[in-house]
Amino acid sequence: MPDYTSVTIKQGRGGWGGPLTVTPTDDKPLIYSVTGGGIHPVAARIAELTGGEAFDGFKSSAPFEKIAVAVIDCGGTARVGVYPMKKVLTVDVHATSPAGPLAQFITEELFVSGVKPEDVEPA
Amino acid sequence: MSESSASSNVVYESSVTAVGDQVGEFLSHGILIFFADESPQELHDMSVRHTATVSDAGPQTGDTIALGETQMEVLAVGSVVSDNLLQLGHLDLKANGLTEATLPGDVNVAEQLLPLPTPGDAFRIVRAGQPTPGGSP
Repeated sequence: MPDYTSVTIKQGRGGWGGPLTVTPTDDKPLIYSVTGGGIHPVAARIAELTGGEAFDGFKSSAPFEKIAVAVIDCGGTARVGVYPMKKVLTVDVHATSPAGPLAQFITEELFVSGVKPEDVEPA
Repeated sequence: MSESSASSNVVYESSVTAVGDQVGEFLSHGILIFFADESPQELHDMSVRHTATVSDAGPQTGDTIALGETQMEVLAVGSVVSDNLLQLGHLDLKANGLTEATLPGDVNVAEQLLPLPTPGDAFRIVRAGQPTPGGSP
């Protein structure tokens, strides 16, 4: 059984929201990357520091309740809202702010944006 | 299929495979969201899904987006649009008439009632005119 540790993820330049503290658990082990080109470096860094499991959401599907944090490369409309709406901690690598039809679900407690790998640090 | 004319170029050609239950709600905001057929399940409700047969380039200002019978001129394109379309089949189409992209994922077209696609509809991006440097002869 892996040991998990926590990370703090703060907003990057021009970003919004957070900081988020992410701690994977046996029930929620997945660092879920819903990004182009495979596992994003931000997701890889979170997985490396926490002991969570990096998971490519475009390659295979995961049960939603297994997700510790979702990493997205969203341009501001769709994915920024989908994961917070389901109360999943969400990290956008682009510097977006709450917008779009789902903006009401995007809160500082659930969402942080503009994040680069160096914005992820051991908590 | 009709032949492409000498002065225009299909840079993206796809076919709609499924239309999510929430797509109509997004349409009422003047927004259509596209994702590739193999996108994660949690995105299906809000998305028009499709499979591309040509995936050469993302849209540019001045291109025409054809969706079923509807043709729309592209007014503005955000900075992450091409990556999203070519890697994830993802595009956020907004009928807001704005000539600057407010969000990095926006593709803006004229204010209009966007069509509700049905499976089998074509989704196509056509580039007018000029030769593409390093492109096909």
